[in-house]
Amino acid sequence: MTAMHDYWQHALDELSRCPARPEIEPLPLRSTAFATLYGVRLSSLGPYRLFGYLSIPNGAGPFPAIYYAPKYQSVLEIIPQGTANLQRSRYVTFSLAGRGQRNADSPYAAMFPGLFTDGIDDAASYPFRGIVADSIRGLEFLLTRREVDSARVVVAGNDVALITAALGKGATHAVTAPALFYRTAELAPKTQAYPLEEINDYLRLHPARAGAVRRTLANFDLVGLAPRVTAATLVMAGAPGSLLDAAALRPLTAALKGPVTVYESQQSLYKDGLYSERWMAERCAIADVQSILPEHWRE
Amino acid sequence: MPRALPAEYRSKVRKPGDFDAFWGDVMRQASTVPLEPEMVPDPLRTSDDIETFQVFYASIDHVRIAAWYCRPAGRAGRAPAIVLLPGYQMDPPIPKEWARKGYAALSVAPRGKLRSNRQFNPGYPNLLTHNMVDRHTYAYRGFYVDTWRGIDFLLSRPEVDPARVGVTGSSQGGGLTITTAAMRPEVRAASAGAPYLCGFVDAIELTHTYPYEEINDYLRLNPERRADVEETLAYFDGISFADRIACPIIVNVGLQDNVCPPETGYALFERIGSKDKHLYPYDGHGHDAGRARHTAVVDAFFARHLQGASEVRR
Repeated sequence: MTAMHDYWQHALDELSRCPARPEIEPLPLRSTAFATLYGVRLSSLGPYRLFGYLSIPNGAGPFPAIYYAPKYQSVLEIIPQGTANLQRSRYVTFSLAGRGQRNADSPYAAMFPGLFTDGIDDAASYPFRGIVADSIRGLEFLLTRREVDSARVVVAGNDVALITAALGKGATHAVTAPALFYRTAELAPKTQAYPLEEINDYLRLHPARAGAVRRTLANFDLVGLAPRVTAATLVMAGAPGSLLDAAALRPLTAALKGPVTVYESQQSLYKDGLYSERWMAERCAIADVQSILPEHWRE
Repeated sequence: MPRALPAEYRSKVRKPGDFDAFWGDVMRQASTVPLEPEMVPDPLRTSDDIETFQVFYASIDHVRIAAWYCRPAGRAGRAPAIVLLPGYQMDPPIPKEWARKGYAALSVAPRGKLRSNRQFNPGYPNLLTHNMVDRHTYAYRGFYVDTWRGIDFLLSRPEVDPARVGVTGSSQGGGLTITTAAMRPEVRAASAGAPYLCGFVDAIELTHTYPYEEINDYLRLNPERRADVEETLAYFDGISFADRIACPIIVNVGLQDNVCPPETGYALFERIGSKDKHLYPYDGHGHDAGRARHTAVVDAFFARHLQGASEVRR
């Protein structure tokens, strides 16, 4: 067994001893003729109380589901900005704030930028260990809902989404745009752009901690976790020539165990977003994707 | 039926008759609050070439506002300066890349954003509709002033050339660029991308995506308040501010923008008062508004208007 395996097994064991105890409350302000929105509070490793938005389509289910795993930003969205609200008419959606994000920021309020390197020199207490556990807890919760068709469950987001698909159970599909944990120590010195610049900042001020940082990051390395991903996966790579383009991500895409689609960004949120919307709809057997696209994306 | 061309769209926004009086009064209230700027060095984010500071200053209603401030290290003489304004739900970035281009750069976190949310924190979603029925307490009254006070901070700095101050941002940052350029004559050049907060009442019919959808959510639950909402929003609409803009300005929009409908970008552009204005529409692009191609346009624009002045002076 590897150190990475042990690291996550301990976290998962700890999580399993922590009951979720969900509280679910309707939110009339965000409920529509086609979907009801709920605020969900539930416990994760720590214990730590989290918050998420659960949207259930009106009508007879079960429905495919999209789980929006915790993002690297302070704000928790109901569905991602720019997504047609009508997406909620066809999918169960669940978005979760990991510890530190708004609505889950007590007692730990994360800073952005800042979270990426907060406590990074100690793998055992690194906040992202908890955030990954939070994300897995969110997926577990979603799968308890009778409205969800367990054969059509998409986990979407950044690296945390892919790690959730690797370590959690029940994701049939994953959409991931790696940004944080792919060969981090190797790639950070090649850029001055955040979030990887956080690593450069940290090591500039604390060069003696480089070894500890590498050891922590090794537990999150996507290539190491990829063989545990059996879900069909869409990898949203950067534009050709960028730090995380398809060529750079090849070791990751080759290591994923399930079927893989690699999409290279066309540097257009329209083209990139349309591709992922169609990919999810096709895999979830939603025939009329046009009807749930934003108005300005429809043909 | 094919969609009408965005350029042909006619906005419903009507500027209130007492618009200038309302904002004049707000500015007077803000002017009674001393800026009380504070610069805290940030060694974690400072390097050989860039100095980074956490900045704090007071704004209207005595709300303490945070910002990131980056400047080129070891620069002699006064530098051109840029105010960067944030998107609706983004966390304000640390503007190192602007400092690397030679600017003193201030990235503002208006009230409610992280580090500026101790006294005011309606949250997200919610900010857009917070007290939306009363222009005197609507969330964006203070939020707008917070960004305008960023100009005061820059003008307080000895390393900043007060004659070379620009403003830029995209999405909400684009809308705030419009309002800042309109209300602060010290702004010498402005670049607004995918402007949000422009054509509120148009956007909620043209698109059904968040964040504008927050308004539709509110009106669905409170239909009897529509008139009050529309009255308030007219005072805060970038289209109402636009005729006050006199500085050179560029605007970029994506013709497939699913967040800020391109129709509203065109409507805004038409109302901009400056004679030196250019619109860059990007077909095949959404809310990025062609950023990958447009960044070079923005860099050249500011270099011409803010760094070119330095060459003339020498």
